[in-house]
Amino acid sequence: MTRYATSASIIYRRATWLVETNLLVAAGITKRFGPTLALDAVDFHAAAGSIHALIGENGAGKSTLINVLTGRVAADSGTITLDGNPMDDRSPAACLRAGIAAVFQSPMLFEQMSWEENLVFGGFERSGSRLDLAAIRTQARGIAEPLAVPLPRDNAPITTLSVSDRVRLEIIRTLSYRPRVLILDEPTSVLGPAELERFLDMLRHLRGQGRVVILVTHKLREALAVADDITILRGGRKVAERRAGETDEPALARLMIGELPEIVSAPEDEGLREEPLLLIDKIGAEHDRRRVLDNASLEINRGEIVGVAGVDGNGQNELAALLAGAIHPSSGVVAGSAADAIAVLPQNRDLDGLILEMPLWENMLLARPLRRRFVGSFGNIDRGAARAFAAENCAQYGIRVPGAEIAARALSGGNRQRLTIARALASDPAVIVAHDICRGLDFNATAEVHRRLRSYAAGGGGVLLISTDLDEIFALCHRIYVISSGHLTEVSADKRNPEDIGMMMSGAS
Amino acid sequence: MMRITALVRSLIAVALACAIVTFGLLALGASPTIVFTALAEGAFGNWLACTDTLVKATPLLFCGLSIALAFEASLWNIGADGQLIAGAMAAGACGPWLSRWPHPLAVLAILGVGTLSGALWGGIAGWLRARRDVSEVISTIMLNFTAAQLLSWAVHGPLMEPTHAFPKSAPIASSAELQLYFAPSRLNLGMLLGAILAVGCYYFLFYTQTGFELRAMGRNARAAHYFGIKTRRLTIITMGLSGALAGIGGAVHIAAITHRLYETLSPGWGYEAIAVALVARLNPLAIVPAAVLFGALDNGAQAMQRSAGVSPVLVHVIQAFVIILMLTFDSLASRHRVMSGGGTPTTKGAAPTAMDLVDA
Amino acid sequence: MLDSFLTSTIAMAVPILLAALGEYIVEESGVINIGIEGAMLSGAFFGLTAAYFSGSLILGLAAAIVAAIAMNMVLALLIVNLAVNQVVAGTAINLLALGLTGVIYRRLFGITGQAITVAPIPTLRFGPLAHLPVIGQALFAQNPLVYLTLILIPLFAHFVMRTRYGLYLRAAGEHPAAADALGLNVYRIRWLALIIAGAMSGLGGAYLTLAYTNTFVEGISGGRGFVALAVVIVGRWHAWGIAAASMLFGAAIALQFTLQVAGARLPYQLFLALPYVLTIVVLAIAGGQAQSPGALGAPYLRE
Repeated sequence: MTRYATSASIIYRRATWLVETNLLVAAGITKRFGPTLALDAVDFHAAAGSIHALIGENGAGKSTLINVLTGRVAADSGTITLDGNPMDDRSPAACLRAGIAAVFQSPMLFEQMSWEENLVFGGFERSGSRLDLAAIRTQARGIAEPLAVPLPRDNAPITTLSVSDRVRLEIIRTLSYRPRVLILDEPTSVLGPAELERFLDMLRHLRGQGRVVILVTHKLREALAVADDITILRGGRKVAERRAGETDEPALARLMIGELPEIVSAPEDEGLREEPLLLIDKIGAEHDRRRVLDNASLEINRGEIVGVAGVDGNGQNELAALLAGAIHPSSGVVAGSAADAIAVLPQNRDLDGLILEMPLWENMLLARPLRRRFVGSFGNIDRGAARAFAAENCAQYGIRVPGAEIAARALSGGNRQRLTIARALASDPAVIVAHDICRGLDFNATAEVHRRLRSYAAGGGGVLLISTDLDEIFALCHRIYVISSGHLTEVSADKRNPEDIGMMMSGAS
Repeated sequence: MMRITALVRSLIAVALACAIVTFGLLALGASPTIVFTALAEGAFGNWLACTDTLVKATPLLFCGLSIALAFEASLWNIGADGQLIAGAMAAGACGPWLSRWPHPLAVLAILGVGTLSGALWGGIAGWLRARRDVSEVISTIMLNFTAAQLLSWAVHGPLMEPTHAFPKSAPIASSAELQLYFAPSRLNLGMLLGAILAVGCYYFLFYTQTGFELRAMGRNARAAHYFGIKTRRLTIITMGLSGALAGIGGAVHIAAITHRLYETLSPGWGYEAIAVALVARLNPLAIVPAAVLFGALDNGAQAMQRSAGVSPVLVHVIQAFVIILMLTFDSLASRHRVMSGGGTPTTKGAAPTAMDLVDA
Repeated sequence: MLDSFLTSTIAMAVPILLAALGEYIVEESGVINIGIEGAMLSGAFFGLTAAYFSGSLILGLAAAIVAAIAMNMVLALLIVNLAVNQVVAGTAINLLALGLTGVIYRRLFGITGQAITVAPIPTLRFGPLAHLPVIGQALFAQNPLVYLTLILIPLFAHFVMRTRYGLYLRAAGEHPAAADALGLNVYRIRWLALIIAGAMSGLGGAYLTLAYTNTFVEGISGGRGFVALAVVIVGRWHAWGIAAASMLFGAAIALQFTLQVAGARLPYQLFLALPYVLTIVVLAIAGGQAQSPGALGAPYLRE
């Protein structure tokens, strides 16, 4: 009895201490979605004037926790205390009023409108029914200047803004609500190395203003670089909390996935030959009257994994589309024995790579070589054979489904990825072009994809890996190009490091 | 399994539509019993009524196939009426010149020109969409009105019959006529031809590469394009095929029923056929019974006017409610398919797709 | 002759312009309304019927607006709440209106040779201004609905582009998911847009039976609802552009009378077809939908 009372009082004292020293305290947050336990009694606390990183794999519960903190999702149990006051009303509006605001991953900007018009949807003072964009501009400057963030030119529509501009704009909009807690959900996935540093500086400024900045990320290096504290979630539970100075990447990685990760550090040379499979020679291409590819050249040899690093929006999509045959060059040639046998895994899988409303087996038929295989001389499709083929591949690639007849929409993200990879490999291409295919996948799924690509190259194929993730590129690629404004530059061996490549990516050389 | 629930849904929609109309009739002071009895009798009361139901179903069958094909490609062909008129005009124009042709050839010829003419009319809209980004909804509707005016002008002008007494064209050669069976019924081979084409459409859509590409384009044009499907060319081809189907329907009508062109032709078959296509859930095979159902409605409506004094356009009201109910049922049944009809996350110019009109 | 041509142009343009302005609001909210024709027809019929039985033009106008709004509300249920295919839903509304007006018309008035007529809305002359050369008749001697329409053009322009609510409207049409996340009620915005458009279509339809002609014939809307759709595109989703495009089509229709009076011996079908052919030609030249609201036509269901 006494022991119980003692531990109870210890818990109570710790709880009050936590609340006294921290601005935000979440205790015992639990959330269940049907059979899935998304959050299991998670505790989280952050002090004023700190940057707190929340890390974990996809599906670990980071997004759910954020949704609970911002009121988008109601927790089944648990309390949230802000500045010593427990929050009873946790509707989204109440959380915003209390001072918790978040910038989420999916962009919430209206492309055709100007940035000022976009900021109208924020916490700035309302000017009545007439739009007063000049007032918005002034107020925006009030927020942006202390953070050393440049604003776009007057009345610029969002379509003209760069990716990092957009991220910053969304942050400014969120800051217009004067939040004490600012949550950023994977904001850096679209930034290049140079912009990243500026972005982290901005976070430090925000910290200096006394706010709590919660940075949700899976990028361990960034977390260590900027955060004061790190909370690790795994499988819906908080497994650990560390101070940034007292831990390192391998330890964090291990906490995140529960075991030592398979470290793929350098490309294998098995299967590498001097034989060129694909040559892209001085390709130029236009789209919407913009020059998207500019005198771009690269070469892929048999057994080689070639990397293309770059900030999103510098021509990667167009390069992949070109190799898929979806757009045509206005100058230059694509040559080589592999020119007709290229399989492309597009970045935007659900939009470009799959037809979600069609059954799995018909999605496989989208690949031209497979269509050729199952279509007879009169244009007739051998449905039975195509279905059987699809079922075989499902088994081979670990897509566990009741049948090949189910719509692609019913597949999980990971299974959809496996489907596109299965399709690409099954069509027996000479070269595979993979654009950002590991985004959104967890450690193990990513490792699986990497393994497949490597064994494919080892077997004599060629791989073009287009990615924004330098770790991935260094681990897999024999040679690296950097794409910038539609132009490709090969990275020499002495420049094969993040700093130099970072500079090349931002256009300097 | 899926097919049965879909069938049930379609039947319930029709039944409910009739129920709704019943209340409306009561409000108008008309007796629903008289109205529906008249409808039923007019449609199936005797042998002649039954054959006439099939005859009235024929243009709906061809237009229904036309629309189903286009809708599968997410091409909103509201112009089946105009394409049918185009086919009929070609048939009516060439028909009088075929008197020396042997019967089978003459029939082939008259149907052939109808097909080509309808294909052209549909192809124009297809080209406008593919090359000039003009919404096919608007262009096909505009072409409907244009075709109607062309017909009117033609029978008052160049195609007018030699005596110039009435606005109608010269009769087609008797060798080009489609034979009628079991006189005085107007049963002809048109319905059979339509049924054969329905099977052909089904095979085309689901067993051929072009059909596959068409359906892929209809569900996700971006991905289809990414994988090398030539969407622009396919758009024109699809609209051409769609127009051709409606065009044959027009030619069949001239060859079998009217034997000549008059000032007006379609009482709105092209729009009614949208209801047909929806009830059939865009499945070409199901269009045959759906067309018969709506043909029965059309047929019965004439009798209904005589017996119950209610305008035959009441069938439009029934058709409208059928469409509304079908759309409602599909939406409720597929709540999990969030972007029903949008298919993909909102992108610039994301056009609606037909995907929840189909069996799933 | 020029002044009567201009007068006719504006008179012909009004129903199209009214419907198009309504459709402008609707499309900016992200919805395509194919059923404008049905709403106009309903407005035309019920407006005339109400005016006929009550003897009051005002009541007629009110009835027209109510009838058209009712049509649009059915459409709103389908398109907004049930997120069905917008093209098919609009077609259903057109069929419904066609059937309903036909049945009720014949039920109420029978198939007599006589047309049902009312006294049309009187012209409102602005005294001396109406005597200005060329434009006097056209701009200052029309019926009140015309003046109303002309006033609505700048009102709509201001509303959409320069007010907060117009911004919300455009947000719902460009990226409904983001708009929802940012606290806007996309469903309500689209409902309101459709109701406003209903009022406009009702007015347009009423104009046809209460001002332009003074009777009803089945199918009197004659495809104007579809022309209105084209007008929004040709007008590039700007109120003034839409006004200009409407005038263009009004001129095409007015041309018919002018040329006939001038004694040109061209088949009347050519003139009847002219607006439709012109629509196609203008759309083909002007190109398509590059400036349309981002999410136009895509059904949106709140998750």
